[in-house]
Amino acid sequence: MAEKLTRSVIQPKNPVLNMSRRANLPHVPGIRIGDYIFLSGMGPVDPETGERRHGPIAEQVRITLTNVRHMLESAGSSLDRVVRVHVVLADMADIAEMDRVYREFFPVDPPARTAWSMQLRFGNGCEIECVALAS
Amino acid sequence: MSLQRAVIPPPLPALDAGRSFDQPTSMLVRGGDFLFVAGLTALDPKTGARVRGTTAGETDQILANLKQMLEAAGSSLDKVVKVNVLLHSMLEAPNMNEIFARYFADPPPARTVCGARLPDGVKVIIDCTALA
Repeated sequence: MAEKLTRSVIQPKNPVLNMSRRANLPHVPGIRIGDYIFLSGMGPVDPETGERRHGPIAEQVRITLTNVRHMLESAGSSLDRVVRVHVVLADMADIAEMDRVYREFFPVDPPARTAWSMQLRFGNGCEIECVALAS
Repeated sequence: MSLQRAVIPPPLPALDAGRSFDQPTSMLVRGGDFLFVAGLTALDPKTGARVRGTTAGETDQILANLKQMLEAAGSSLDKVVKVNVLLHSMLEAPNMNEIFARYFADPPPARTVCGARLPDGVKVIIDCTALA
């Protein structure tokens, strides 16, 4: 019989990046179940001001993945422990530019990824969610 | 002891879309007791070329490839726990369902279907999580 997995909420060390709490949204930044980490979809939020940054897509993807890394590291994980990523773009035309920046964050043995485009909230150009393993 | 993470190459090089289309993705990643499969598009398993067909045709090709990839990794379609299906048009959902039902024995996995804009003119993308 397998042991019962423990469920806990993941909080970013930088409270500015706790967007769900700041915007009073009914979700948490992430959940850890056993040694699996499930992060909510994240967008391009400035880690100092908490404002959304809607500049060029390369910048939006870089900010978002930097925040994903922060969230994972806050949870005792890291980018190289990510197993699955969903990338959602507001505009499919941004995919090549997104890929270019994405590679900087996942240079070797990248996670299993799916990327597509659909309507995003708040004017975000990208949103990224992932599943990772604890370190 | 931390969970094992391992990238699993597809059984045929033609199914490695990440490599052949120069995309920053692994096709299968094992994490602990689960297999995470990247969003698959319809590829010819012999040539690796895109199969451009109807929604039903692309679904059929993707699920045939998925079956092969899972089995080569020691898993199978009946070990799939969650599927995400992206369609270029939600009007095509019945056509996808008809094929989908042929591949998954009862009870099928949990699933989400979404109409979205997809890259490279593909009509269907399917990703999944399975037990290793």
